[in-house]
Amino acid sequence: MATAVDNIAARYQEALLDPSLPLVQAWKERHPGARAVGVFPVYSPVEIVHAAGMLPVGLLGAGNQLEIAYADARFQSFICSIIKSTTEMALTGRLKVFDGLVFQGICDAARNLASVMARNLPGMRVEYLHLSQNQASPAAEDYLVGEYRRFQSAMEELSGRRVTEDGLRQSIAAYNRVRALVRVLNGLRARSPELVSALECYLLARLGATLPPEGSAPVLESALVAAQGRQARPKDRVRVVVQGSFCEVPPVELISALEEAGCYILDDDLLLGWRCYEADLPTEGDPLRSLARAYLNSVRFSSVRHGLDQPRATDLVAQAKQLRADAVIYLAAKFCEPALLDYALFRQALEQAGIPHLFLEFEEKMWLVDKPRNTIETFVESLLFD
Amino acid sequence: MLVAGIDVGSRATKAVVLDGERNLRACSVLRTRPPFPELARQALDEALSRGGLRGISPDYVATTGFGRYNVPFRDLQVTEITSAARGASFLYPSTRYVLDIGFQSTRAMKLGEGGRVREFHTNDKCAAGAGGFIERAARYLEVGLEKVGELSLRADNPQTISSVCAVLAESEIINHVSEGKTVENILRGAHLSLATRALALLRRVGLDGETTFVGGVVYQAGMVRSLEETLKVKLNVPAQPELVGALGAALLALQRLEKQGAIPKSPVEPAT
Repeated sequence: MATAVDNIAARYQEALLDPSLPLVQAWKERHPGARAVGVFPVYSPVEIVHAAGMLPVGLLGAGNQLEIAYADARFQSFICSIIKSTTEMALTGRLKVFDGLVFQGICDAARNLASVMARNLPGMRVEYLHLSQNQASPAAEDYLVGEYRRFQSAMEELSGRRVTEDGLRQSIAAYNRVRALVRVLNGLRARSPELVSALECYLLARLGATLPPEGSAPVLESALVAAQGRQARPKDRVRVVVQGSFCEVPPVELISALEEAGCYILDDDLLLGWRCYEADLPTEGDPLRSLARAYLNSVRFSSVRHGLDQPRATDLVAQAKQLRADAVIYLAAKFCEPALLDYALFRQALEQAGIPHLFLEFEEKMWLVDKPRNTIETFVESLLFD
Repeated sequence: MLVAGIDVGSRATKAVVLDGERNLRACSVLRTRPPFPELARQALDEALSRGGLRGISPDYVATTGFGRYNVPFRDLQVTEITSAARGASFLYPSTRYVLDIGFQSTRAMKLGEGGRVREFHTNDKCAAGAGGFIERAARYLEVGLEKVGELSLRADNPQTISSVCAVLAESEIINHVSEGKTVENILRGAHLSLATRALALLRRVGLDGETTFVGGVVYQAGMVRSLEETLKVKLNVPAQPELVGALGAALLALQRLEKQGAIPKSPVEPAT
């Protein structure tokens, strides 16, 4: 029987995955003259965009919903799907709904995509955010505050509205609320994965990355209440952590296949940048400094943030142990350099810790998931028939 | 106490019936054709009939193969990788690697204790990497599939087939025919081409121990020879290689019954 949480996630699924971005279109129609900014993964301080009176929206590729016709002619074949699909969306007018785009230096491809967009979309404000690479340096905080200030000026210029400290604090509080709801939802999944699926968590988190926080928070609250009230018996499944999909998102069919093949996905790094804080950000004091400190000190580990203090492979092992996971599934986008380069480190650490793992690659345009599903099933069986 | 394993493969559907002591009581092989539910039932009934067990229903049925979900009377389904590994490990307890070449796909597995799959790789969705490629080559050369293995063994100058695509590989075969190369040498070239792809898969899981070759292609002696030459190892070759997946499924069925306490655990002895 379908429960409320099924309905909530399913109600938005089609619109969330539609590369024509109907939810953003609808928001702009309801707010004449208001502006929207597409935010490429992995992390950007969306609070600044919001405080400038604009809607920050996760730019999350086109999944398997868009035929790539123009972008293939502009890129080499060995490049990840999200770069191509985002370019295709731009070249086919689907990004016209945005007034600005934001990128960061997560990889060479994303870095160059910012320039590709600037060249191909005249009139579009394209911002490139230089997040600090060296988190351990004493100068990192001041540097990042300065960079965020520059970004804030750019957003003010785009929106024509000045960002006040109070306004930014309110935006931090608004996104704190969304992140907290997503965090509680994911916590429920980790504790009782039979109550809420990874796919539902992903769709609901994606809603938070698409609607303004004032619009997404009530939906997330309803979904959380519905999930908490769900009656479901735990199944005989393998408990896994999924890692490696922090930027490009696997097709929903693949996420479903992972679960149908016998996995409880206790946690993953889908939409990582939108849920990377384990606690609320301070809403007092200098808000730009709060944002900078949070990025330097409190953000969850990932392959695109290079902390010198602790290898991220150690974090993954600790996470798997803390969640009592039976295994880790390393789910990397094809040609994703950060994820694929890190796999060597993660593999070594997992093997040393005695945690079984499975490596899988995906791309956006996967319609048939029979083969990965077969692979996952075999992996699950190797753990179940021990 | 009887259990059954049914392997609904893309070319053949196989059924194996074991008793509680893991003795092989019956088996059957049918050509795969839809509808699968009826086919699986027919394969099981035929096996039971051949084993003098007509009218007896197995206590547990495990299915495997690409049609494993289309058997409504199953108790459990497992992938062909898990089942082939368990079956091969049962027949050859010290085997560390299994190569399974079926009609549609090729799988290389590294095994752990008790036939547990430690690592595995399958060929991409490419017809040139599996047994179907040999069948198409045989059809083009107008040779019955049952004769392919022996003809291939008689080759004295195997012809290279280097394309990684089945369509292009068939074009290469056409070229060889037009150049007057013998059927024997072309077939051996096809076997060597498949062996090279299998080697690439096996290298990904490692190749430093006893290896068992299973799947219907094992019946082609030229394929076994080609693999042994390419891999530079002596392979374990079961007497009924196409039944190994169904056997593995039946063994896993027994394991589930033991876990559920329906039957006492018995020491694992290789089947005869």
